[in-house]
Amino acid sequence: MFSFLINPSKFNKFTDIIFKPLVFISSVILIVGLILVYLSPLDYQQGLTVKIMYIHVPSAWLALLTYAIMTIYSIIGIAFKMPFSFIINRAVAPIGAVFTLLCLISGSLWGKPMWGTWWVWDARLTSVSILLLLYLVIIFLNQTFENRDVREKTIAIFIIIGSINLPIIKFSVDWWNTLHQPASISKLSAPSIDGSMLQPLLVMTIAFSLIGLMIAVLRIKAEILIRKNH
Amino acid sequence: MILIKKIFLFFKRESKLFYRNIVDLFSNILFFFLSIFIFVFALGTDEQLLKSIGLGIIWSLLLLSSTLSLRRFYEEDFNNGVLIIIHMRGISYELIVFLKILSHFLFVQMPFLISIPVASLLFNLPIYEVYNLMITFIIGSLILSCLSSMSASMNLLNKANFSIGGIIVLLFSIPIIIFSVGINEIESDYKSLINILIGIALIFLGISPWASASFLKLAIRNK
Repeated sequence: MFSFLINPSKFNKFTDIIFKPLVFISSVILIVGLILVYLSPLDYQQGLTVKIMYIHVPSAWLALLTYAIMTIYSIIGIAFKMPFSFIINRAVAPIGAVFTLLCLISGSLWGKPMWGTWWVWDARLTSVSILLLLYLVIIFLNQTFENRDVREKTIAIFIIIGSINLPIIKFSVDWWNTLHQPASISKLSAPSIDGSMLQPLLVMTIAFSLIGLMIAVLRIKAEILIRKNH
Repeated sequence: MILIKKIFLFFKRESKLFYRNIVDLFSNILFFFLSIFIFVFALGTDEQLLKSIGLGIIWSLLLLSSTLSLRRFYEEDFNNGVLIIIHMRGISYELIVFLKILSHFLFVQMPFLISIPVASLLFNLPIYEVYNLMITFIIGSLILSCLSSMSASMNLLNKANFSIGGIIVLLFSIPIIIFSVGINEIESDYKSLINILIGIALIFLGISPWASASFLKLAIRNK
């Protein structure tokens, strides 16, 4: 059932079916999410700037999720020698880099009115910027080696080693005293955010992940074609 | 006993190479001191300022100057075929990498240990900071040797972009610099940080022979 996740030809067939509905659904959800964001209440302290959250938080989550997916695929790819996972690594890395960059830029635009600075050397911010550096090194490594097998294995090993950074990003707000607030949704107890703000946030997250999935499908298909032609 | 003799011969060869290429080491140390002078010229000679940031500057310059010797780690031995010959004498690639790391640690990183007190003299660092710096450098340079072994063996396969090896070493040396500079900020409980550093060193000492050896095998296969 899930063999389209590891088999290129089945992936192509599956995505041919789902791609048009995916475009439709993601655009509908994005429009609904933007309307919900517009209607959502203002924060009693932050005012209008709280609406940056609806871009900042989904892009941060997706940046982490993309790296986690790449880590899982590189482990699978090295363990079971599946070339499709390396295709995904190559295709998905720029998307993750863009999400990380979006998270950093929106965060610094949010930080200027709230904290008074564009940038603090805070544990959360620093670890996320290291994530951006990891993505950039992965993108550079993709264009470095001539030998394809070597390139793919090297990148997979690099991704697995770099995944040490993911728990550091997640727990940085708990381990160190940071200016960045601790987690208010992705924790074991009930979310400490009001429902009227949680609802548009979740809708925006779904919209962002569907858009990311859409771009990823296009890039993976292009990558499969490139590999077939070589 | 035969293996021990082979290892002894390996180190003998490495030390001979070290004495022949000692100018290279001197130029690395010269780079280190020259960059300290450039830092001082750029920042001005305010004594308190230099005292407060001296440790960080020394550590980051040590990292940068250790990436200078990255090219020489495997490239010569790989190009003139010595790696294959040593392997044919019955030493596995993993052991070669391990011995290479040890010899890099002894012959390339340890001479910097002598230059650290002189450098910290230039910044007027207090004596306990120099002591901490030397202890952390002994452990941290072992991690650096492992990292440079990995990225140097990776660079053997890479004919387009040589600076990526240095970038990878610098990227993974972030935890080293966090823990080693952090020692001076927690004066009471610095042993825990040293333990963490030793732990990282042991992890890398475990990983890097396998990783570098797989790269070496690929490079020799694709030569």
